[in-house]
Amino acid sequence: MGLADELLSDARFLADKGVAEQRQTLMRRSISTAYYAAFHLFIEDFVEHWEFPDQRARLGRMFEHRKMCTGFTARDKNKPTPVELALHDVITAFAQLQKDRQRADYDSGWRLVETDVRNSTGLAEEVFEKWRGIKDEDAARSHLLSMFGARPD
Amino acid sequence: MTRQSEIDGAVARVQQSIGPDVVRIRYEIGEDWSGQWAIFFRIVLTDDAARIRLRDVATRVVRGLAQQLDYPGLGVFPYHNFRSVSEQAVLQEPAWA
Repeated sequence: MGLADELLSDARFLADKGVAEQRQTLMRRSISTAYYAAFHLFIEDFVEHWEFPDQRARLGRMFEHRKMCTGFTARDKNKPTPVELALHDVITAFAQLQKDRQRADYDSGWRLVETDVRNSTGLAEEVFEKWRGIKDEDAARSHLLSMFGARPD
Repeated sequence: MTRQSEIDGAVARVQQSIGPDVVRIRYEIGEDWSGQWAIFFRIVLTDDAARIRLRDVATRVVRGLAQQLDYPGLGVFPYHNFRSVSEQAVLQEPAWA
């Protein structure tokens, strides 16, 4: 099991425990971990194609969270392809996870409820499932490059 | 038509199309954590919808709003947060009322 999958498993564990014990700190850690699970999913996918395994961790540290939420528009907005629709869902979910992670880590006034936590783990699961279904498609590979700073074609 | 009425109309249409799982949708426009303009939707769901079919309903809401609203044209990025009627009854936050 890779780091991304382990983090997703941890996010679920923290969600269940946090909700059961009504502990805000665990719920916050769950939301934060759900985001990092998705973050590492993309990192792993990006760096696995780097030829030199000993440099992959270093390459992974290059990526900036702030730049990873780049927008996406289908070629025909009124008729998105199934791949474009899935990619849109992945991007929207990832941006939401990133925003909620920021809030979970820094907004001490946020009173979390079970729906916040379940939604985050659900979003992360959705990112995993949908990304793995489309990651070899041209649109997905092109967007992955954009997430890591490449200019659009 | 103002942008606010455009958004209000879209929200009403999405709420109507999804049905009783969605109790109400509120929103505000502001800057997100990175300084980018954003629209923050706050969606109150029935307790059953939040507990049993959260991701299904949430996906329909997110997609419905995206189909109705031209976010790039509005210059905002969308965020969506959900809670149940019971959770809001406990928290009593005016922004969600």
